[in-house]
Amino acid sequence: MPSIKLYAGIYVVLFAFATAQVAVEFVGLLESAYWIGLGVILVLSLIKALFVAGYYQHLRYEPRSITFVVLSGLIVALVLTIASSYSIT
Amino acid sequence: MTDGSEPTPDGGYAGTGDELPAATGEGDHATTESHGLPPYGSVKRWLVTTNHKDVGILYTVTALFFLVFGGVLALLMRVQLFTPGSGILSPMGYNQTVSTHGLIMVFWFLSPFAFGFANYVVPLQIGAKDLAFPRLNSLSYWLYLFSGLLLGVSFFQGGTFAGGWTMYAPLNIPTYTPSIGASTAILALLLFVVSVTVSSVNFLTTMHRMRAEGLTFRRLPLFTWTILLTVWMMLFAFAALLAALVILSADRLVGTTYFASTSPGGSILWTHLFWFFGHPEVYIVFFPALGVMAETFQTFTGQRIVGRKWFIAAMVLVALQSFVVWMHHMFLTSINLQIKTLFMATTIGISLPFDLMVFSLIYTTIKGRVRFATPFLFTFGSLILFIVGGITGVFLGAVVLDYQFRGTYWVVAHFHYVMVGGVTALIGGLYYWFPKMTGKMYDEFLGKVHFVLYFVGFNLLYFPMFVAWETPRRVFEYPARLTAWHQLATVGGFILGASFLVMFYNLTKSLVDGEAADGNPWAYSTTAEWAVPSPPPLENFPGVPSYRSGSLDFLGGSPEVADGGEVTDGGTLTTHDAGTQAAHADEPESHASIWPFAIGVGAFFVFLGLSGLQEGSFAPGIAGGVYLTLALVGVAISAVSFVALGREHFHAPTGPFGESWPFEAIENTKLGVWIFLASDIVLFGAFIGTYVFIRISAGWTGWELVPGDPIPGLMNTYLLLTSSFTVILGLVAAEKKSRWGVVASMTTTILLGIGFLVNKGLERNHLFHEGIALSSNVRTSTFFLTTGLHAAHVIIGLLIAVYMLVRAWRGAYLENERPLEYFGLYWHFVDIVWLFLFPLFYIL
Repeated sequence: MPSIKLYAGIYVVLFAFATAQVAVEFVGLLESAYWIGLGVILVLSLIKALFVAGYYQHLRYEPRSITFVVLSGLIVALVLTIASSYSIT
Repeated sequence: MTDGSEPTPDGGYAGTGDELPAATGEGDHATTESHGLPPYGSVKRWLVTTNHKDVGILYTVTALFFLVFGGVLALLMRVQLFTPGSGILSPMGYNQTVSTHGLIMVFWFLSPFAFGFANYVVPLQIGAKDLAFPRLNSLSYWLYLFSGLLLGVSFFQGGTFAGGWTMYAPLNIPTYTPSIGASTAILALLLFVVSVTVSSVNFLTTMHRMRAEGLTFRRLPLFTWTILLTVWMMLFAFAALLAALVILSADRLVGTTYFASTSPGGSILWTHLFWFFGHPEVYIVFFPALGVMAETFQTFTGQRIVGRKWFIAAMVLVALQSFVVWMHHMFLTSINLQIKTLFMATTIGISLPFDLMVFSLIYTTIKGRVRFATPFLFTFGSLILFIVGGITGVFLGAVVLDYQFRGTYWVVAHFHYVMVGGVTALIGGLYYWFPKMTGKMYDEFLGKVHFVLYFVGFNLLYFPMFVAWETPRRVFEYPARLTAWHQLATVGGFILGASFLVMFYNLTKSLVDGEAADGNPWAYSTTAEWAVPSPPPLENFPGVPSYRSGSLDFLGGSPEVADGGEVTDGGTLTTHDAGTQAAHADEPESHASIWPFAIGVGAFFVFLGLSGLQEGSFAPGIAGGVYLTLALVGVAISAVSFVALGREHFHAPTGPFGESWPFEAIENTKLGVWIFLASDIVLFGAFIGTYVFIRISAGWTGWELVPGDPIPGLMNTYLLLTSSFTVILGLVAAEKKSRWGVVASMTTTILLGIGFLVNKGLERNHLFHEGIALSSNVRTSTFFLTTGLHAAHVIIGLLIAVYMLVRAWRGAYLENERPLEYFGLYWHFVDIVWLFLFPLFYIL
């Protein structure tokens, strides 16, 4: 199990990344380069999600099989989203 | 009946049973006097039981009731179709009959029928005393039953749903199907999906974690293999259907506009969501039938299945491929040609593993010595029907042919050959396991009469539909020159229906005064359920089952089998000391709980009450008041029942278990939570996917965000992130045995969660004052419903947190902090979802 210090450090990072996402909008990146801004914001969300799953849900310290269960659900959701969205392009 | 001399390794060796001193009476003795369960003759027994065998019987009997229900509807349709044009049903009556026939047969009959066997047989085959969560198993059944009753009620609320079993948009919204009964039918299906999800989590945990020692996946019986793959498919596929049904219910009850004809991509969206579930559903329905075929082919040919390893590999491949073929149901929609071509290729591809399985079964028959007992007649017949159904399906997988065949009776004939072909095998399974489940043998002659009538009736009913393929689906008008074929089909339908009268007579009479069946009435059966008495005792085995030696042994057996009587088919029963068995011997065990039933009743009233909602409010007057009252009564019953369930002392199977790969290091409840969360990922994934789909349809960059300001969303992100952190602090406090630390952390978590909801409420109020409502347009619908689903998760989390806070106040979780950890898994998941909803709905 990680220490409280590590948990607190992650909390600070999560807090900062959430703020950064709004900052990306406030500095006007979405208006000047929408798709780059979108990429940055979603990557920040992804990193936050990995921190929460990896440490708060301690997936990092669980057997890999649990990660595969989670990834299976994620892949299924992505297949549905990507293929259905592509089908109407 | 059996010489019991031939070992047929298939993960187990069957017992001959007749050598067992512990016969039927012993089993009855054990079940009537143990664990607080009333005797079988008592109605109360069936209301409180959580035992997997009882639940299996409940599923089987209830599913047969729905077979009759759906069958009568089918016969009404066949009578109507005897001549083209009008008949005994009104046009709307016919539409309702077609729709509910499909819904009942696919959802309320087929899968639950298979899961009657799965409930009864799988724990026996894997060497488990029961499922991992017996009360959840019982809950699954009651939710299933009450969802079916809800569908029945829908007929009396101005007519049930009449838009076809596929519920295509925009026919599925109140503009076209306005009756309250139509909403009730949708809600009934939603409740059914909840039942399936609970069941999937339970079966997956059980089958992965609770196998007997030595029972590796390589040795797992084929029926259990098929159920394992079925349940994995169910977990993900039904989550997509749940998303579709939640959205549809919102469109019908609170006025969102996802599927309105004015919404961009609305009708295509439904077909994506529905068929993403719907095609895996074909295999969800068919795999258990395949499992019954595999088991009975082995038993009645005396031959191990040819290419067992490849048979299993083919099934795994189909289970994976099943999620990438759904758009072949959409070749006539406006999806692009590239994706149609890709899905044509994947569809043709999925037929290849099936070819392998079919040849494996055929070759097994050729190599073995066939005995045409009733179960084998049905499963062999099923193979023939499936071959016809499979080949005719390949036509529909080709885009150009599908342009011609779609919407015709070719499709109807094809899928009935596949789906009812599967039913044929399951009927074989009913005869196969009837002696095990009842301790009585059915009448073999009447069984064969049933098969002949069934097979003749089946082909007379469905084959003419191929010939009369130009008949349009779902309507009762057709060209007059096809009348003779339809009349033949109607005659076939009645013969098929009559064949079931023979079955019901046979099974009922046999149950009352049939010949007693011993533990193993079949020669060459290969699985563990045949190594115990018929019916098995409450806890299934005379000791701890083990396959360590390569055959089935019972370790630490009870006195009546400890004398070394031979019970295995090719191996000798041996008894050894097993410390694991004795560990809980002195604990008072309870296997009875009324609360799953009570929750079922509560859910029934909640959903019935909700059906009265239109545009977010109940109609004024008495009717609206009645619906509101029903909903409130249902909520009250459910709330009390959930709390009582949580407080009840109940003994679920505890480890250590034999084989738990690949989850050896994880406790059952924790695995259950993770599996549930995986399905919740698909639920939210489908919601987010829906948002992405609609936004792409409307033009991504032209989309105007509903909240004009991201700051309220950011505040809520801070609140949720902080609440996740406080849950972690609570867990750390519990590990340090700090009672007040746990209480303070949980209290803070709850306050932060409430803060999140208050902030959301304020934001909504603000939006409403600006004239932005849920039903304004599809933009606002996606915003309010997706974040609303998330808020519902927060509310559920808060209710659990309040319950845990009360317990923590009394000093709970200091000795065992795992409940806090499992709550945290859920709460952090809700947090993660918000991490994506926030940018998608507030920033991008």
